[in-house]
Amino acid sequence: MGVSYIPVARIGELAPGVMKEVDLGGRQVLVTLVEGKYFAFSRQCPHEEADLKTAGQILDGTKLRCNNHSYCFDLSTGECTLPRGGPPLTVLPAEERGEEICIKLEW
Amino acid sequence: MAYDLLIRGGRVVDGSGLPSYVADVAVKDGKVAEIGKIKDGATKTIDAGGLAVSPGFIDHHTHLDAQMLWDPYGTCEPQHGITSVVMGNCGLSLAPVRQGIEDAVVKSFVRVEAIPRKALEQGVKWNWRSYGDYLDNFEGKLGINVGGLVGHIAVRHHAMGEEAVERKATGAEVQKMRGLVLEAMEGGALGMSTNRNDRHMREDGKPVASRLADDDELFALCDVLAERNAGVIETILGRNKIEHFKWYHELAKRTQRPILWQSLQHRWAEPNLWREQLDAVEPIFKAGYQAYGLSMTVPLVRHFTLKDCQVFDEFPTWKNLMFLPVEVRKQAFADADTRKKMLAELTSSRETNYHKRWDIPKVERVANAENQKYVGKTLAELATMRNQAPLDAFLDLSLEENLETIFWNANNGGDSKAMGEILRSPYVLVGTSDAGAHVLFGADFGYGTILLGLWVRERQVMTLEQAVHKLTFHPASIFGLQDRGLLRPGYAADMAIFDPKTINAEEPEWANDYPAGSKRMVQRSVGLHYTIVNGTVINDQGHMTGELPGQVMRGPLYRQQKAAA
Repeated sequence: MGVSYIPVARIGELAPGVMKEVDLGGRQVLVTLVEGKYFAFSRQCPHEEADLKTAGQILDGTKLRCNNHSYCFDLSTGECTLPRGGPPLTVLPAEERGEEICIKLEW
Repeated sequence: MAYDLLIRGGRVVDGSGLPSYVADVAVKDGKVAEIGKIKDGATKTIDAGGLAVSPGFIDHHTHLDAQMLWDPYGTCEPQHGITSVVMGNCGLSLAPVRQGIEDAVVKSFVRVEAIPRKALEQGVKWNWRSYGDYLDNFEGKLGINVGGLVGHIAVRHHAMGEEAVERKATGAEVQKMRGLVLEAMEGGALGMSTNRNDRHMREDGKPVASRLADDDELFALCDVLAERNAGVIETILGRNKIEHFKWYHELAKRTQRPILWQSLQHRWAEPNLWREQLDAVEPIFKAGYQAYGLSMTVPLVRHFTLKDCQVFDEFPTWKNLMFLPVEVRKQAFADADTRKKMLAELTSSRETNYHKRWDIPKVERVANAENQKYVGKTLAELATMRNQAPLDAFLDLSLEENLETIFWNANNGGDSKAMGEILRSPYVLVGTSDAGAHVLFGADFGYGTILLGLWVRERQVMTLEQAVHKLTFHPASIFGLQDRGLLRPGYAADMAIFDPKTINAEEPEWANDYPAGSKRMVQRSVGLHYTIVNGTVINDQGHMTGELPGQVMRGPLYRQQKAAA
């Protein structure tokens, strides 16, 4: 068991709404800043595997829409909010640690 | 020469479900002329010794409405023995249309069926208005036979314009829609389709138009088919619910037309749902009405290694591990306490899409030669062979191979017993290929070749004769396709000639054959030797001949009108 904090960006590096792609253990992740909070999530839409770097759009609050089929996800939980009950988005906890934004991975 | 084409010495699987037999098949003027021991010669002869000769397969659930306009073969349908396709499913068709609503229809196709917009914009010329005009457009330009359903979405936009995605229809608008449905049926439609799936939206996030229709509207449109005693009614209501069956029963009883509903397939996460669905539909048939469930033959398979794995993202510890650097991940996999957490998540009672079973995932490929003995074994079998607990066997084998062991998993459609019962059910119509849709995501042209390869040959859940019946005469009967789906004198000479010992589908692959440079996925087959449409060979051992013998398959109202004229 353990915990890892993996730095993915520096504080101030991300403009609001910009999605930065990072590689975590061979998987593609997007990191973004929305209303002062950082979020990290899988680059691949869980519906039909669209690339959220190009098809993803941040809407009001913490809502992410995949413009491929208009599926919407809550970036805090990954829950599919439109349509309800759709496949969840894989999300990871992102937090500020000193000068860096880190993904916290616990196991 | 007496005949145009003679197929010698094949095993005739005639589509009826009756036992197959060895015979010659002679073709004249596009029709089957004679079956048996044939003495006369022909202009062209095919030696079918050792091969099966069956009616061409009928893919009744496609979204080839656009693709057929630029691709007369609906590639890769003929590569899998398919000779006839039905378009216009799930409420979506490209007709009827009037000036100004074309883009509303495109918006629906782009999102619901995931067809690239640029391909539709370049490939669809809109040189039609009515459904009959749309079908006319295909005359003389087809490699395979094509029929279609008129889609509720196009009909609603035609009657209501953009307000079709905003509100309920007025009585006058419903009457207008009824007129459009009748006109489409008289123009040759094989039925109508509608869509109430709450996941189906347009490109702009608005619900597709048919979702705004209440029962009064929808039943009024379906009544057109009932009044004229013609056509099927194809539906998609969204997530399967048992209460839907009351609705299917009401619609089937009211119209006395075949109702098609989507869909049923075994899912490990809901392992009894398919049984509940079959139990729910049986009373409809027992009462004398028809409500066929559509079922897919292709298991939803994922191949993965523990180096790159999304299969376990529903489980927090597993998910976090899969994002760790590989060397850290390997240390974690070796840690006993971490394994305890991983196991606790996999054995919790929380509902997940992953089946949480050890007897389903299999070892597909190993990295080290000494582990070859594990290939094809389930993780439960692997555990027994290694005298370990399943999780330990799974992780230890992966660690020994530097996480390069490839595993196979299927959450849907993997259970042979359940799939056998589903596929054999007389209430189930096999096939939801969605050909022409979701083109960047996958390709299931091979649902028929997979039925014959996986479910008949490998898993033996049904006979070859039963499977061919399900691919041919069963859909032909339900859709009212005249003189197709059987090998009988007088029937259209649509045929698939294949090797039952090798027939199967390949994994989908990328191609660049869509308009405007759009990429898409295609699928090749194995063991399919010839595809013949109306007596002409279009697929000669994998080589497309360039012939265009396909016909427009028009429905009964069109045929009646033509006969009367």
